[in-house]
Amino acid sequence: MSDQITTDPSKPAQRMRAGSMTLTLGPWIVAAILLAALPFIFTSNSGLTIMNQMWITVVFALAYNMLLGQGGMLSFGHAVYAGVGGFACMHIMNASDFFASMPLPLLPIFGGLFGMGLALIVGAFSTRSAGTVFAMISLGVGELIAACSVIIVAFFGGEEGISGDRGEALPFFGLNFWSQIEVYYLTAFWVFISAVLMYLWSRTPVGRMANAVRDNPERAEFLGYSSRWVRFYSFVASGFFAGVAGGLFAINYEILTEENLNAASSGVILLVTFLGGVGFFFGPILGAIVFTLVQTVLSLETELWAFYAGSLFVATVMFFPGGLAGLIMMHVPPLRLGKLGVLTVPYIKTLIPAAIGILGLCSLVEMTFHYRHAATGDHEMTLFWTTFDSHTILPWIIAGAVTLIGLGIARTTAPALKEAWNDANTAGGKR
Amino acid sequence: MSTPALELTGLTKSFGKAEIIRGIDLSIGKAERHAIIGPNGAGKSTLFNLITARFAPTSGTVKLHGEDLTGLQPFQINRKGLSRSFQITNIFPKMTVFENVRCALLWAQGYKYSFWNLVERSRRLTEGADAILDQINLLPRRDLPAGMLSYAEQRALEIGITIAGGADVIMLDEPTAGMSHSETDYITDLILKVTEGKTLIMVEHDMGVVFGLADRISVLVYGEIIATGKPEDVRGDPKVQEAYLGAALEEEH
Repeated sequence: MSDQITTDPSKPAQRMRAGSMTLTLGPWIVAAILLAALPFIFTSNSGLTIMNQMWITVVFALAYNMLLGQGGMLSFGHAVYAGVGGFACMHIMNASDFFASMPLPLLPIFGGLFGMGLALIVGAFSTRSAGTVFAMISLGVGELIAACSVIIVAFFGGEEGISGDRGEALPFFGLNFWSQIEVYYLTAFWVFISAVLMYLWSRTPVGRMANAVRDNPERAEFLGYSSRWVRFYSFVASGFFAGVAGGLFAINYEILTEENLNAASSGVILLVTFLGGVGFFFGPILGAIVFTLVQTVLSLETELWAFYAGSLFVATVMFFPGGLAGLIMMHVPPLRLGKLGVLTVPYIKTLIPAAIGILGLCSLVEMTFHYRHAATGDHEMTLFWTTFDSHTILPWIIAGAVTLIGLGIARTTAPALKEAWNDANTAGGKR
Repeated sequence: MSTPALELTGLTKSFGKAEIIRGIDLSIGKAERHAIIGPNGAGKSTLFNLITARFAPTSGTVKLHGEDLTGLQPFQINRKGLSRSFQITNIFPKMTVFENVRCALLWAQGYKYSFWNLVERSRRLTEGADAILDQINLLPRRDLPAGMLSYAEQRALEIGITIAGGADVIMLDEPTAGMSHSETDYITDLILKVTEGKTLIMVEHDMGVVFGLADRISVLVYGEIIATGKPEDVRGDPKVQEAYLGAALEEEH
């Protein structure tokens, strides 16, 4: 690579390329350091569990985005490939002789191979076209295999699933992976490798053509590429990495059930990927982190976490179709123009009242829920470190007022924000 | 005479009962610039779509350098050295201009479906794509999303994508449709430049472009070729004047 980083100012192409090399390496180094350092910050076992879950979701969401974002294929049944990869890993764990001769860190590869194997079979007929046909086949196959879980009990273990013990693997440099921290580093290693490989995939000829086929399958055909084969390769690669995610799940939880491959899980990964943003490589990573936090941390605070996650998803689809990543990348043009500062004050004026208003709205939702669903006679509830009686009128008035005032202020300051936004996106201008 | 670059024999196409192409025999020599003209609805675009296998012909054969193309898919025909543009701009709007051209180079440079090469690391790809961009004067627009280009620039990009793969038979479907005079001149010069030494088959309405570019002209009326020949012969042909120019006059009035 070194021979290409030489910069010749008369050749813009080369200058660009040298620049993008440094740009692309930086985030990976930061990510590697973060992955290695996070257990020193969040030392508790629950912290490690949450992070493991996060990284598994990252691998899965990135694999899913190879289809959705990069290949333009909307799948409603992608949990199947992760699930089958995971189940295969559980069976390997239970094949004691073989498992005892294999170090545990290799297990996700087998998960990947089984996920890929299934994707080879399904992809052979499902990738003929994208769009509705592909979506419907993915849904059908997903339901079919989820239904098999109660029929083919030998593989899927019926209702109780398949469980095993990761500790029976061949010790890896003396590690038995009994403790959570050892599993964390195994997971972190694989999430890093998978993310790098998936990123590199997107830079290969077949990865670039996946984008081309997504944008305009017909034109791609007239450039010598069969849209179907391009889709097929993306699908198989995506199945592999989904299987890796399944294998990591098997290692972490030592049990797989029907829940790992049903339509609900497939729906969640679509939600995660879209929330993060399908248009950028790092979008699904963001989505996985945010969603896992909502799912784990928020679910400790409220029973209604799924309601909030759903609202967040709907809001994303409606107002920010680019997802969180799109939202962040919207700020690149103002940054390039050096006018990000123009936005600071309007942001504070609008977003803080809006956040307070939304919290007020959430309070109303929580109070309604408590009023309707708490045990009879239990009138006391705690919200934002305040304990009060949900059957008296005062808390309702306060929450209602906070909501109205917060959202009201946000509404009056929104035009100024819009103006500032336009200003920040225009070169020159007033300053 | 050597094998023609493109040879059509008894080509017909019906959509249900409607016969759109009614038996076309046409032979286009190597390095010839051939224009197909005719009134609206004569079947010019359908003919293009038959040659490039976007539609399957009802009967008849298409031969490229003497090789029968029957039953081949568009991507297979493209690999044999026939490339086309579209009447309606057909590019990859979300990708950058540079990437549009680079995608067009991938198969021609032998990358196929490889996932062990990184496109950024191939100097041949980058330089090849930049050379094409330079040829079509879009180098200053290199890193913009293709969808943001002006109409004329998108048409130029379309031509760039079409020629990038190095195909020796180039088919352009109304390359100057919807363009102003200066844009038309720009595209005409561009076509002359980039199809040097190649076989060019184009559908075109602008007679200035046709008579400026074409070595030979075929006139297509109601699915049949009523005349083929040198521009001046075609212009003087009474059948052409009656069928084509008459229809054109009707359209105007």
